[in-house]
Amino acid sequence: MRILISIDDTDNLESRGTGALASQMARELEENGWGKSSFITRHQLLVHPDIPYTSHNSAMCFAAEIDGSFLDGIIQYASAFLARESATGSDPGLCVAVADRLDSPGSLIAFGQKAKQSIVSMEEAYAQAEQLGVHLSEHGGTGQGVIGALAGAGLRLSGNDGRLKGGLAIEAVNGRAAVRDICSHADVDEVRSLSGLILPEEETVLLVGDKVKTVLMDGKSVLLVALAEGTADRFAWRTCSKQQLKNY
Amino acid sequence: MWYINQSGDNVFHGGNEDWQGAARAAVLCSSFRPDVEEERIADEPVSCYNCRYRRWTAASFTCSAPDRQPAG
Repeated sequence: MRILISIDDTDNLESRGTGALASQMARELEENGWGKSSFITRHQLLVHPDIPYTSHNSAMCFAAEIDGSFLDGIIQYASAFLARESATGSDPGLCVAVADRLDSPGSLIAFGQKAKQSIVSMEEAYAQAEQLGVHLSEHGGTGQGVIGALAGAGLRLSGNDGRLKGGLAIEAVNGRAAVRDICSHADVDEVRSLSGLILPEEETVLLVGDKVKTVLMDGKSVLLVALAEGTADRFAWRTCSKQQLKNY
Repeated sequence: MWYINQSGDNVFHGGNEDWQGAARAAVLCSSFRPDVEEERIADEPVSCYNCRYRRWTAASFTCSAPDRQPAG
């Protein structure tokens, strides 16, 4: 059974970030023998003065393959975890969606996309969750995080939103790696140019920085690359900068 | 580099794509604190865009650093 676990609004200016909590949850799900967690994605939601986010209004989501018999236990664990670990003054929300059981995945995706463009109410989030049959719960404060939690699940489900949390270490020679070696990393599915060209496996890429960051596109973890400036040789590609990835 | 909006917040004049300006402001700021990895978007490690105290707005950000005086 594939599930999506999405959380939002768990932090304050001094606490661990929501991403750290998501990482811990993903790790503990595996340590408890409940299943296998996938990478965590970060999803940007609407920035608006009427939305009371702390600093950046983003939700974190990860997928997990579990045995269905563990679903209720995972929801209980995640609920208790957020109630315990969320920061003082935060408004945490939790969404657990069973991807295979959604009658209308398009509706969940649409909700996520709506939360990127407009203000959504908690009432609307709860109504949508009930209609979809997904778990949505609040665990402190105003519970405003349910909006982002549900939206994060929808955006992850879309397969076309978000950056992966964390950087990936890729072995390189003189700072370069072949696409086949990059894609041999468990969390990289494809190398693609900003213009949409899928690089063949024999192509090489200059890896800028110690680690690389991928984005979620077409359901895949994609390393985006750009043309390296001033090159006329075959080493023409380099990994994108943080600035180039900011809108993903 | 900053102005005060109607809510009394310190708003960065440079918007959300003034990479050099945001880096300059952070270097001059004693309150700079790096945000978590997944929220850092500037290539310069020390940048207001990467600071835990920056609060994004539609066109820029406000600075939430406690006891901070804008650099001007």
